[in-house]
Amino acid sequence: MPILPLRRAAAAGAVALTAFAGLSAFTTGPAAAASSRVSVVHGIPGQPVDVYVNGKKTVPGFQPGKVAGPLALEEGSYDIALTKPGDDLDQALLTVEDAKVPGGADISLVAHLGADGKPVLTPFVNDTAKVGAGQARLAVRHTAAAPAVDVRAGGKPVFEDLTNPKEAKADLPAGDVTADVVLAGTDTVVLGPTDLSLKEGTATIVYAIGSADDKTLDVVAQTISGLHSAPGGVPGGSGGLADRGLSLPWYALGGTGLVLLIAGLVRLRTGRPAAPARR
Amino acid sequence: MTGGPDSGAPHRDRGRAALALATGVVLLSLFGIAACRARTAPDVGGPTVSALQSAPAPTTTGPGVPVSDGRPPAAGVPDSPSSLRIPALGITATVTAVGVNAATGELDVPPSVDRVGWYRYGPGMTADAGSIVIAGHVDSAEQGPGAFFRLGKLRPGDSVTLTGPRGGTRTFEVVARERYAKTAVPLDRYFARDGRPRLTLITCGGPFDRRIGHYRDNVVVTATPG
Repeated sequence: MPILPLRRAAAAGAVALTAFAGLSAFTTGPAAAASSRVSVVHGIPGQPVDVYVNGKKTVPGFQPGKVAGPLALEEGSYDIALTKPGDDLDQALLTVEDAKVPGGADISLVAHLGADGKPVLTPFVNDTAKVGAGQARLAVRHTAAAPAVDVRAGGKPVFEDLTNPKEAKADLPAGDVTADVVLAGTDTVVLGPTDLSLKEGTATIVYAIGSADDKTLDVVAQTISGLHSAPGGVPGGSGGLADRGLSLPWYALGGTGLVLLIAGLVRLRTGRPAAPARR
Repeated sequence: MTGGPDSGAPHRDRGRAALALATGVVLLSLFGIAACRARTAPDVGGPTVSALQSAPAPTTTGPGVPVSDGRPPAAGVPDSPSSLRIPALGITATVTAVGVNAATGELDVPPSVDRVGWYRYGPGMTADAGSIVIAGHVDSAEQGPGAFFRLGKLRPGDSVTLTGPRGGTRTFEVVARERYAKTAVPLDRYFARDGRPRLTLITCGGPFDRRIGHYRDNVVVTATPG
């Protein structure tokens, strides 16, 4: 089973994690905070591990198919190692040295099988831009020892020709979708169908993991929340009955009243001196 | 009156003058009363609303790195209120769950003016953080006054009660009433999903533009759990 390729990887050492150096290019510039959010995804079937960060056991007994984190990591370089639970660091199954973590990013670090079936650690930068009101983001990552695939939602291909270790993503109306994975360009279902509830204002990241040859293909999902935005407005009336301002006739009424009042006063004034004289 | 026949004209004059004066006073009084009634109550409690937003919600993170199950997300149980009661205004309105109008991007306020809409993507009735938003019509051209016709009359201290589908209730106390031009409403504050729990009631108000058939302003009432 997959323990075998893991042993091979241990011998191979720190080959896999090459993409880290390129990460900083994806994250935006000077305004970014120094600390990054790093989640760890376990996508290698059959082998629980301890996760070490800079020699410190950070996630003990990490089971396949689970997601740990997010950890808050300052911008910098990190040594990451996976061991069998309880093993010493020098017997690590998979190690990566000087992995560069940029500042202010949201990263998923995925332990998975490469297209060739060997375990690798691949970092993905998560898109945490706000989604529109009523929308949800869906990202699919091919991290399985399997050929190119299409991802279908409700039977229609939404992401085509996805290969290991690439991702495809889209913002969709929030709600339930039924998704499956087929060999690229065919109707041969290799994974699913799976029901996904895409919650508004979140990003759902689905990883295809395992190995097609070993029949261990499966999915792991990670959700990032807090990406919502407010609706564009609140329309709440079309009648005008609640307009409390005074209309023109009221001002006309007030004006007439004022004119009458002044005219009356003037007349009384001018009339008054004459009246006592006649008494 | 003691005037002889010769003094009739000045008397009539004075009578007319007095009549004009009295009519003037009456008309001006009517105008004054109307103007007083038309005066919009000033905003209250604005700073309270800001404070509610910036207050941190209770955190529940313990020691160690949280590990979550990687199962695909399942649909949650909706936490929708089913009715809203405001004793001070004498209203009880049915609440329906609403989302966003795909065409306009605006909140999909229920077309029936005697219903109000709970924003189903935001915090639900029992939420312990964020703003529970319920919007309703002040009126409509076809249906007349709506459930929130007198929302702008609410005062701090008035109570608002939500009832859930199974009869559970949650009562809130009004702490703020604000009016904003629709172009300047801080919607992010009222649709926030963090900060202290509160209930936000929204409708329209202010001057009505008959040309486009819309009000200029939004009236926003904020209430906190009692």
